[in-house]
Amino acid sequence: MTDVAVEKDQDSLGVLAWIGIGIVSVAIFLAVFSPWLIPYDPTQATENVSTPPPPLSAWPSLFWQTIVGDGPTPHWFGTDASGLDVFSRTIEATRTDLIIALSANIVSVIIGVSLGVISGYFRNIWTETLLRTSDLLQSFPVFITAMILVALAGRSWVNIVLAMSFLYAPIYLRLTRTEVLALRDRSFIEAARALGKTEFGIARQHILPNAIGPSLIQFSVTIGFAILLTAGLSFVGAGVRPPTPEWGSMIATGATQLVLGDWWPSLFPGIAISVTVFGFAVCGHILEKRYGR
Amino acid sequence: MADSTNTVLSARGLSVQYANESPTLSDINMDIAAGEIVGLTGSSGSGKSTLAYALLGLTRRGAQITNGEIYFGRNDLLALSDVELEDIRGRDIALIVQNPRSALHPMYQVGRQISRVYQTHRGSGGAEAHQRAIEMLRLVGINDPERRADAFVHELSGGMAQRVLIALALSTSPKLLIADEPTSGLDVTVQAQFLDTMWETSRKTGTAMVLVTQEPGILANYCDRVIELDAGRVSKDVSASEFVSTSMLHTTQATSSGQGEGQNRAPLLKVEGLRKTFPLRGTKKVVQAVDDMSLSLFAGESVGLVGESGSGKSTVGRCLLKLLDSDAGKITFDGQDLGVVSGEALRRVRQRIQIVQQDPYDSFDPRWTIEKSLLDPLEIHQIVPPTEARAAIEEGLKRVSVDASVLGRRPKDLSAGILQRVAIARALLMKPDFLVLDEPTSMLAPQDRHIILDVLKRLRTELGLSYLLISHDLTSVASACDRVVVMYLGQVVEQGPTTEIFEKPVHPYTKALIGAHLEENPKTRRVDRTDRVDLEGEIPSPIDLPVGCYLATRCPQATEACDKERQVLSSFSSHHDVRCMRAGQLELDKAS
Amino acid sequence: MIWRFTLRRLAVGLVQLSVLIVAVFFLIRLLPADPVSRFVGLNASPEAYALAEQSLGLDLPALEQFEVFLFGDDEEVGLVGGELGTSWVTGSSVNQEIRQYLPVTLELITLSFLIAVGLGVPIGVLGAVNPGGAADKGTLIYGLFAGSQPEFSWGIIFIFVFFVVLGIAPGPLGRLSPLTDPPDFVTGAITIDALLAGRVDIFLEALWYLSLPILTLSFVLSGPIIKMVRENVAQTMNADFMFYGQAAGLPRGILARDALRAAFAPALTLIGILFGFMIGGAVLIESIFSISGLGQYAIRSILAFDYPAIQGVVLTISALTLLIYLAIDVCQALLDPRVSV
Repeated sequence: MTDVAVEKDQDSLGVLAWIGIGIVSVAIFLAVFSPWLIPYDPTQATENVSTPPPPLSAWPSLFWQTIVGDGPTPHWFGTDASGLDVFSRTIEATRTDLIIALSANIVSVIIGVSLGVISGYFRNIWTETLLRTSDLLQSFPVFITAMILVALAGRSWVNIVLAMSFLYAPIYLRLTRTEVLALRDRSFIEAARALGKTEFGIARQHILPNAIGPSLIQFSVTIGFAILLTAGLSFVGAGVRPPTPEWGSMIATGATQLVLGDWWPSLFPGIAISVTVFGFAVCGHILEKRYGR
Repeated sequence: MADSTNTVLSARGLSVQYANESPTLSDINMDIAAGEIVGLTGSSGSGKSTLAYALLGLTRRGAQITNGEIYFGRNDLLALSDVELEDIRGRDIALIVQNPRSALHPMYQVGRQISRVYQTHRGSGGAEAHQRAIEMLRLVGINDPERRADAFVHELSGGMAQRVLIALALSTSPKLLIADEPTSGLDVTVQAQFLDTMWETSRKTGTAMVLVTQEPGILANYCDRVIELDAGRVSKDVSASEFVSTSMLHTTQATSSGQGEGQNRAPLLKVEGLRKTFPLRGTKKVVQAVDDMSLSLFAGESVGLVGESGSGKSTVGRCLLKLLDSDAGKITFDGQDLGVVSGEALRRVRQRIQIVQQDPYDSFDPRWTIEKSLLDPLEIHQIVPPTEARAAIEEGLKRVSVDASVLGRRPKDLSAGILQRVAIARALLMKPDFLVLDEPTSMLAPQDRHIILDVLKRLRTELGLSYLLISHDLTSVASACDRVVVMYLGQVVEQGPTTEIFEKPVHPYTKALIGAHLEENPKTRRVDRTDRVDLEGEIPSPIDLPVGCYLATRCPQATEACDKERQVLSSFSSHHDVRCMRAGQLELDKAS
Repeated sequence: MIWRFTLRRLAVGLVQLSVLIVAVFFLIRLLPADPVSRFVGLNASPEAYALAEQSLGLDLPALEQFEVFLFGDDEEVGLVGGELGTSWVTGSSVNQEIRQYLPVTLELITLSFLIAVGLGVPIGVLGAVNPGGAADKGTLIYGLFAGSQPEFSWGIIFIFVFFVVLGIAPGPLGRLSPLTDPPDFVTGAITIDALLAGRVDIFLEALWYLSLPILTLSFVLSGPIIKMVRENVAQTMNADFMFYGQAAGLPRGILARDALRAAFAPALTLIGILFGFMIGGAVLIESIFSISGLGQYAIRSILAFDYPAIQGVVLTISALTLLIYLAIDVCQALLDPRVSV
C-alpha cells in the first residue's frame, strides 16, 4: 500500500565487490593449479638458507630470465632458515588452507542445514534435544575447543576438518532453523498442504530451497573464520604437522627469525592470509547486502 | 476550489526525485483552504505519500525536493532554514503516518512523546505538557488516559497507537494535518470510529486536512475535495462528488442470487459445535479463536463468513481443511466425518476442498514459476494425464481471465490482483466441490477487489461452485453470497439470507458492521447519517473474555443483564438466527 | 522484579554450566589421546605405565573418574568443594594457577577493549551519519578489513616494525622487563598491582610493555565494533520513529539522543558477546608477546594432555562467558522496556 520508494542501499559497492570476487577467484585458482605454478618443491630444502627476496627493482629482469630459461629460478619471496622456498610454500599453502576451510564448511553446511530443517519443521522431544546440544556446543570457547579436539585426536587435516565441523555446524543449524520457523507459517506451505503435498515433499521442495539462503551467505564469512582457525592452530603447534606448507606454521617458523631482521619468511604468508580472508569477508558482506534481509 | 485569501498552504511546481532516478513527483500545484479536507489519492507508486511528506519539506532518505515552492502563510517552507522549519513542523503542520507502531519511539512512554512535542512547540512546563497529553488522549477516545500515558508503544494495539499518534499530532492545535493512510491495517468498525473522530475534530477546530488514501469509500465519506496523482503528476483536482461520479467503478449492492433456499437434500458441509483454542505460551491460559460454531452449506450454495480481526473466521476456514485440528465439534463433508480421516484419505478429501488465501504473494513459493506452481498439484493428484497438463492450466487461467503469458513468470513479477486470480485458478484445477476463500480481496487495490468478486460470481453461475467467502467487510462481499454468517470473538452472532441480513439486521454488531462500510457515494455519507449504531472502544482480548455478551463492553444498547448472561444463538425467524437476548426487544423499540 | 529475573537467569546459567562440565569431562576422555605414555614415554615398561596410569587416576572407569572429579577422594575435595584438581604437569593446584593467569588475560583484553570501543564507537557513528559519503565507505572497508584479520600475523608485523626496525617499542618479553621486580601479587593485574604498591614507574613500564599487544588486539577488535556500530546507527537513523520525530519538529538535540538511545542497547549486546569471545580468544596474542595469561596456560596444558588443567580452563572461560551474557541481559532488561522481565 505504501508508495515510499524502497530504501535503496546507498553503498555503491561496485569496486569493493570486484576486489572481493577477484581475491577469492585468485585464491581458488592458486589452490587448484599450485603444483604447476610453483618453481620449487615446497617441502624440499634448497642449499640457500635464509636468502632474502631479490629487490623489487630487479624483478622485471629476473622475470625475463625465468621466462627465457636463463639461469636458476629466483626465490621470489626468499628462503627460510631451513632453505625452503617461501614463494612455493606460500602458494602451496593456499591449497592446504583452502581445502581444510572448504571441507569443514561443506561438512558443517550439510549437517547444520539438514538438522536445521528437521529441527525447525518437525518439533518434538528429539529435535528439542538436538537444539539444546547445538546451543551447548556454541557456548564452548571456539579456539580452545578446536585446540583440544585436534591435539587430543591427533594433528591430521581430517581431524581439523572434523573439529571445525563440530564447532561450525551449530551456526548453520541455528540460521536454518530460524528461517524454517518463519517459513512454516507462510501461506504457500499451507497451500501446498491443501493441494495434497506430503510433509516430506514440502520440507524438501519448499522449505529447504527457501531456507538455505542465509547459510550460503554465512558460508562465505565462515570460510574466512576457518582459514584463520586453521592457521592459528598450526601457529601454536596444534594444527597440521610441518613440513606441510601452511600459512600459520610458516608465520610461526618465520617469527623466530624476525629479531634477526629476516622479515620475509613470516611476512609473505601473513599477507596471503590477510588478503584471502579479507576477500572472503567482502564476498560475505556483498552477498548479505544483496540477498540478505 | 480553494479561496486564495483563505489558503493555508499552497504548493507550486513541486518536484521530488530519488538519486539517479526519474522524478517521483513532477510539477505539483495544489492549494489547501482552511478547514478543508482534501483527499489525496492514486494507485500505489503514484507518489502520494512522497507528496504528503514533501508538504512538510521532508523526504525519505535518498530523495530530494528538486524544485518548487511551498507557501505556508507568507513563508516559502523550502526557503527556510532547518531550525525555522523545525518550528513549523509539528506546531503548524502535523503528520500522521500509516504505521503508528513504528513511528513512535519504542523506549519512551507514549505520554512523554506527546508532551515533549507540546513542550517543544508551545514552550510549556513539564507538568502542563503532561496534563495536555492526558487531555489529548482522552479527546481521541482512549479509556483511562492517565494509565495509557505511561504505556510503551509495544503494549498498544494498532488502533490504539494510531489514536496516540493523532493525539500527538493535534496536541499543538496545528493549522494543517497531513494523514498518510491512517487507517490501513485497522478493522472496519475501528476505522469508522477513528475517521469519525478525525472528521469531527477537524470540523470543530477548523484544522485543514490532507487525507492520503486509496479507498474510494473514505474519499466519498470524509473529503471535500480530491486530488488524484498519476505517475507523480496531478491528474485530477475536483470536488469529492465530482470525483466519485466520474471515476467510481460501481457501487456494490446487496443482492442475493436467490438460489439455494431451504434444500431438503443433505448438506455438502456440516459443522457442529466447532471449538478451537490456542494455548498461550508460558501460561495456562488459552486464546479462544472459535467457540460453538455451527454451519451448514449445501451444494451450489455460497456463504459469506464475516467478522473483524480476532473473530475466528480464518480459523474456521483452516479447520474445515484440517489445516488445523479442532478441539471439539464435528465437521462432516459429503457424509464423511473429517475428524477421523488422515494420511492418504485426508489428501483425497483435500482435493475436494480447496483454499484461496489472503496474501497472494505469500501463497506461492517465491522461487517457483507460476507454471511450476500450477503443474505440481496436478501431478500429485494426477487429475489429468501429464500430456494434457499444460493445456489444463492454460484453460484454468482462461477461466479466471488471466493470460497464459504469466506462466513463465515468478510471483513477484505479477500484480496482486492477477496473482490472486491465479490462486483461484490453482484451487479450481483440483476440481474441488467446495472452496474456502480466506479474505481474498483484503490485500488488493479497490479495482482488483471488484474483479475478484465478479470472477467469483461468474464461476458460481458457470460451474455451480460452492464456496465459503471469508471477509471483514460485510457489504462488499454480500453480492457474491447467498447467505451471510456474522462472527464476533469466535461466536456466530447472526446468520441468515443475505437480503434479510441487509434489510433487517437485528444484532447490534451486524448493524455496526453495515454502518461502518463506507459507501462510495458522497450523498450517503456516514457522518451525515443519524440512525447509525456506533460501537465504542476496543475489541476485548480473546484471552480474558467477558462473562456475559461479548459485545456488551462496546454495545450502545447493552443493559446490566447483558454483562452477566451468556448469550445463545436462537432462531429469530425462519433461516435467520441471532445471538442476542434483546433481539426481540430491539425490534419492538424500533417499531414504537 | 529485576532481582527475580537475575536469579532465574543465574539458575539457568548454572544448569548450562553443569551440562557443560559433564560434556567437557567425557569429551576429553572420548578422544583417542594417551596422556599416560605422554608422561612416561613410549618405551616405558608395562609396570611403569600401569603405575603412572594409577597415579593419574586413569585406571578407573570413566564414571568413577567423574565421581572423583566432582566429589574428590582422600587427598582432594573435588569440584563441589570448589577445587578443580591438581595439574599433572606442575603438580600444583589448578585453582591457584588459574587465579594467577586469569587476571593477566582480563587485564589485557579489558585495556584493548577500552581502546577499541573508545575509537570504534565514534568512528562507526561518523560513518553512519552520512551514508554513501567518503567516511561511510572508509569505515565500511576498514571494518571489513580489520574484522577479518589474523591477529598473530599483525602482532608479528607490529613487532618487526616498532621493535626491530624502529626500536620505539619493547620486545615481546611479557608484561615487564625481565630485570624489573614485579609488584606484590594482589589482584594479578599488573597495572593495578603496581598502583596498589604505589609504584607509578612500574605501572607506566607495564603499560609500555603492553602497548604492542594492546595495539594488535584493539586493531583486530575495532573492526567488528566499527562495522556493528555503523550498521546499528544507520539502521536507527532510518527508523520510522526518527523520520516521524523530524516531522513532528523535534530539535536535533532530542533526535540525536533518541537515536543513540535506540542504538545503544544492541551495541551493548554485541560488545558483550565479543568480550566473552575474547576471553578464550586472546590465546595467540599471549603466545606471541610471551604474556603468561590464561591462553598460554591453555596451550601448555592442551599440548601436554594435562586433563585437570584443560577442564579448569574450559570451565573458567565458559563460566565467565555465561556471567557476561547474564550481565548483558540484565542491562538490556533495565534499558529496554520491550524486554520482558
